[in-house]
Amino acid sequence: MTAVEKILARTSGLKQTRAGEIVYPVPDFVMIHDGVVTGAKQELDALSITRLFDPDRVMMVTDHDVLYNNDRAVARGAFNRKAAQAWGVKNFFDAGRGGHGHIFPTERGFVSPGTFYFDNDRHCTNAGGIGALAIRVGTDIARVLATGTTWTTVPRTVKLTIKGQLQPGVYARDLGFVIGKALLPDGAFGVDIDYRILEFAGELDQFSLAARVSLCSTPTEMRAIGVFFPPSEAIVAYARERAQRPFTPVYPDRDARYDAQVELDVSTLAPQVALPGGPYKAADLSSVAGTRVDHAFIGSCASSMYEDLTIAAGVLKGRRLASGVRMLVVPGSEDSTNRMRRDGLLDIFQDAGAMILPAGCGPCASGRSGMVHSGEVSISTAVGNGAGRFGAKDASLYLGSPATVAASAITGKITDPREFVIKEAAL
Amino acid sequence: MSDMEWVLKGRCYKLGHDVPHAGSVVPNSIITGRYFDAKDIIPHLFEETDPGFHQRCKTGDIIVAGRNFGMGPKMNGYIAMQALGLGLICESMPFLGYRAAIGCGLRVMSDCVNVLEFCDTGDELEVDFRNGFFINHTRDIRREYPPIPDSLLELVELGGNAGWLKQWWAQQQAVESGSTKHA
Repeated sequence: MTAVEKILARTSGLKQTRAGEIVYPVPDFVMIHDGVVTGAKQELDALSITRLFDPDRVMMVTDHDVLYNNDRAVARGAFNRKAAQAWGVKNFFDAGRGGHGHIFPTERGFVSPGTFYFDNDRHCTNAGGIGALAIRVGTDIARVLATGTTWTTVPRTVKLTIKGQLQPGVYARDLGFVIGKALLPDGAFGVDIDYRILEFAGELDQFSLAARVSLCSTPTEMRAIGVFFPPSEAIVAYARERAQRPFTPVYPDRDARYDAQVELDVSTLAPQVALPGGPYKAADLSSVAGTRVDHAFIGSCASSMYEDLTIAAGVLKGRRLASGVRMLVVPGSEDSTNRMRRDGLLDIFQDAGAMILPAGCGPCASGRSGMVHSGEVSISTAVGNGAGRFGAKDASLYLGSPATVAASAITGKITDPREFVIKEAAL
Repeated sequence: MSDMEWVLKGRCYKLGHDVPHAGSVVPNSIITGRYFDAKDIIPHLFEETDPGFHQRCKTGDIIVAGRNFGMGPKMNGYIAMQALGLGLICESMPFLGYRAAIGCGLRVMSDCVNVLEFCDTGDELEVDFRNGFFINHTRDIRREYPPIPDSLLELVELGGNAGWLKQWWAQQQAVESGSTKHA
């Protein structure tokens, strides 16, 4: 079996499962984000279903809209607090209490290798970074909250073997854009990724947990239902230090059946950007170097673990943003914000002139904060950059690694981070 | 599962490949406006690509589409199709779109390979969603395709997630009141 087939077999009470089978897995917990609580609660209330399957195994997270920038948002916040109380949900991470629902649960040990949960939001695929599985069920979340499960087709798996080592100054996010491009219907991999798991193999020791989480992002935008990394010893040790419940790491069998197997040599990869339009529009950064930048943003579920923030801070240390550039930093968790304070990272960002927002999705969640104006140019670590994702539809939204975004904010134009990162490593 | 009509007989409405949900199945405003009530959506079904569709179509008619129907997980149009008594077959659709259509209680078959070659708009079709048969009476063509899986038939029959949950809750309460009496 593949790793995901094993996780779904365990949670479905079966000895084995195979891709294509319909199962009813019992999750270790269920996560619901702020934007859909109202719909789910109203759907259940209309049927007079007033209790959840197990309130102790439900997590409610306020991450998409933390700042309440309008009347509707503040009303939704109030509704969600009442809902948590009525349902008896204790794991309610309200605004300012947890952070991004696809980041802090891993840091706090709710998500460990082998964990399985249901989530309404598709970027729950981040669970694969630590070797767990989360499946997005959208509006079926009401059924899951009431009954504890729903029907799930066991996904097929595409195995991607990484060869070679990334060069200094080239990061997981750069690689993610290239993988996204290769996953296009007419892309280099020549595979169909719709509702598939992308399972990584090969030279993975170069990827920290934060890098693995980053690599979960773009395949999700290409319609993968999950990404899976076999957890390294270091990652299993990290998980043991914080696990909220016992866990067993899961690895694919040698004779697992794959939908397709592809390889990618990463050793010659140069820093990338995703051109405006989509995270799969990978291009060598050099092809757009020098493009004016007005807006820079570090954060989103693709790039907001502590290490991502450290990489950006390493570039910004002792420097200031170019005049005319505004920069937003959105940590993935309140724990990270606190650690940034203790470690001096907040000083670095603030001395540079960047603004720190509360942990959560930041501008990436449909532009509820820190938007861009018509004609402006943004470079960010958002998960996506379709027209109008955070502001004017005719703004140009580029994506890059945290180092690229920080370097570009300093110079005021799209800039190869190696000009900063590698020179400093040599000092 | 007695009342559900798993075999639809009706007129073919043929679409092409890569038909987006927003802008083709329903106007984008229906999606961004978060309309989920069938009566609000029906007048707008295929409004931009086939004006008047909702008045011309009849219960039992079948929408036939090519690859990548819907192009995403949106569900608004499926609510209207289900309420109008239509069926949907296509060469492929994103799995989350299929999931949404089943969750609306729509009779739907995906992975109907090359089905566009076997019909045209106006043909008289007969589709058995439980057993996976496609018959074009106009052209005397018969094909077999993957039907709705057995384990999802009840969900479709009950009208989708809301109907399924309603029945589930009634059963839970019956069990609980029974066990209370025994106690």
